Amino acid sequence: MDLELSDDQFELRDNIRSVLEGACPPSVVRAVYENEGTSAELWQQMVELYWPALGVAEDAGGLGMGFVEVGLLAEELGRASAPGPLLAMVTQYIPMVEAAGAADALAAAIAGETIGALAYAENGRWEGAGVATTAEASGDTWSITGAKDAVLGGANADVFAVVARTDAGLGVFLVERADVAVDLPLLLDPGLELADVEFAAAPATVLLAPGPDAEAVIDAVAAQASVAMALHVIGACRRIFEVTLDYAKVREQYDRVIGSFQALKHRFADMYLAVERANAVGYYAALAIAEDADDRAEAVHVAKAAAGDCQRLLAQDGLQLHGGIGYTWENDLHFLLKRAKSGDVLCGGRSFHRARLAALLGLGEAA
Amino acid sequence: MKLRFDDSVEAFRAEFLEWLAVNRPPAEAIEADPPRSSAYVPEWAATFTRRMFDDGWLVPGWPPERGGRNAGPIETLVYLEELNKADIPRTTNPQGLGIIAPSLLDYGTEEQIENYAMPLLRGETSACLGMSEPDAGSDLANLKTRAVRDGDNFVINGQKVWTSGANFADFCFLFCRTDPDAPKHKGISIVLMPMDTPGVTVRPLTEIISPEYPDLNEVFLDDVVLPVSNLVGELNNGWAMANGSLAHERSMVWLMGVMGMESSMNELLAEAPALLASRSAAERATAADDIAGLYIDTVASRCLGYRGFARYVKTGSAPEQALMKMYSTEIRRDLLQIAAELQGPAALPTGLSRHGAVGSLDAYFTTFGSTISAGSSEIQRNIVAERVLGLPRG
Repeated sequence: MDLELSDDQFELRDNIRSVLEGACPPSVVRAVYENEGTSAELWQQMVELYWPALGVAEDAGGLGMGFVEVGLLAEELGRASAPGPLLAMVTQYIPMVEAAGAADALAAAIAGETIGALAYAENGRWEGAGVATTAEASGDTWSITGAKDAVLGGANADVFAVVARTDAGLGVFLVERADVAVDLPLLLDPGLELADVEFAAAPATVLLAPGPDAEAVIDAVAAQASVAMALHVIGACRRIFEVTLDYAKVREQYDRVIGSFQALKHRFADMYLAVERANAVGYYAALAIAEDADDRAEAVHVAKAAAGDCQRLLAQDGLQLHGGIGYTWENDLHFLLKRAKSGDVLCGGRSFHRARLAALLGLGEAA
Repeated sequence: MKLRFDDSVEAFRAEFLEWLAVNRPPAEAIEADPPRSSAYVPEWAATFTRRMFDDGWLVPGWPPERGGRNAGPIETLVYLEELNKADIPRTTNPQGLGIIAPSLLDYGTEEQIENYAMPLLRGETSACLGMSEPDAGSDLANLKTRAVRDGDNFVINGQKVWTSGANFADFCFLFCRTDPDAPKHKGISIVLMPMDTPGVTVRPLTEIISPEYPDLNEVFLDDVVLPVSNLVGELNNGWAMANGSLAHERSMVWLMGVMGMESSMNELLAEAPALLASRSAAERATAADDIAGLYIDTVASRCLGYRGFARYVKTGSAPEQALMKMYSTEIRRDLLQIAAELQGPAALPTGLSRHGAVGSLDAYFTTFGSTISAGSSEIQRNIVAERVLGLPRG
């Protein structure tokens, strides 16, 4: 087992990082926070770089990279606390459309002509059992009724891929934005472009016909999205770690840099461990998905739960060790703190994944 | 990144397993005479060491004349994995095989290699490491045991403490001060000291668990006379050699921590459902969450260890080993604490057979041997902060 990135993977990561440092510096994030700009220009640049197509098979018009590479992209987007629809597109909507074999919808998505979002979770539950939204057929058409919350990338979506319940089980349906009520709450992290969406007998077309096959695809896409979100959180946390460490090396009190105090050194060692721990299991889960390992289901829950542990410590100590300067709006730290905390809540939070893991291990209540 | 090893590595694994099936020490023999000190060599262990040496399986990375087969680091990893899975102690004198013999091969004279290193490798002798002193624990460079030159001899006076296996070892790899005027890291030398030399007194320190089988000792040195030819490497270069010696140990020691954690976790998972069945739903949920957290640590320690190892293979250095030392020892401690809590009163009986038993408080207490020795967790955090993260000393 080799869990170090390959040279190609390092190169891809460095490439993504350097593009984002140029195209998405903190000033771009700040403009979105302060309503002085949008994510539209950044999104266009990403489309031109074919990033939405990174994990799509080559014969479907994509770059044909594996899920590890998709995970690296998600991680770097977290590091930059990047605003805009790319995270939702590349880790949720596009994989669903691709898995469904919907060639036209896929082509429109990777060309940036359509922005889509996956509407799955209800009442914060990232699991099929939590889906109460229904789909009813009448003749050739379907209508969707229900509500989805915190839909990633939903704010600017043209179309929603909606997971809904039928008599035959769960299926996935495409619904146009014009046919739904979209509520945009004022968000702690506006860059995530979350939306609450209500469907009142909204007209829909079938993306994945309801049944056991569709449910397997939904589970697989949801699992991938969880791991991608774990890496996204870890990307933000690693950056919190770096800026906090840099600060501790220059901030002086009592005539010495604060990073020379053992009390802080030990906290930095623990923060470093939390980041490395989460990152190692995050990459492992990505690899387990890419290679379809036997323990992939466990690995997914381990990864997202560990990302949850990581953000708990990093957001807390990152802010605390910055002292007052980290508590100000002017300092860029809060973009990362908010991204890390928000990402933990999405795709199933820390406690959700720990409980699911415990159930898989034969402990506690079944899910 | 990849999940599986190459075919050539798997072929190596198969070859070792075939050998092991024929040559493994009988389980009854191990049970009848268990490895109870880090320098006690039961007969089965001596026999097994000799067979491994003769067939090139003792230290696979070394050349055949030294008990190896010139294997690469990944093959060595696989070899250690299989020994661990088979629950066979590779040696009952870990400091002898892991630190002292390789240090002698690196720094010793031909005569020292012949008289001290090779008998260790053939399972004929065992050795202890004389480092810590009453005022030199974490601050090892503060050691005060003096070696004074007198003609062709050194005369040694001082005291060592926490010396694992001194009560059974044939000789000691002794760190002593040879230049009291030099800065403290620069006046230390290493001398080979047969334990039966006049003036050497060993007093076992009974431990909090199983006091009848002590491993730690105090070693008192009163006018101990040793020939200058017993000096290892250059005079006053002991500190640099110590760092080299410990590096031998560190490059693979993480694997023992990871595999120990995995086997403890497997035992816990096997027992937990039955233990939890009679408890309330609320108690089950709390315990399940504790175990889930430790399961994450189990997976993470393996992933971190393997990633660090991949870096070590690629670059020849692994600065994160300090992180692995503190992490793997602390999570095992935490696991054994939670396992004991889960057992309830069944965790309370004590005795030698319960040392490693997951769920006994004996097992929990023995984990402190790992979080305190070989650089305590607190020292490891300092090392991570200073050497990996670049925070200033002070």
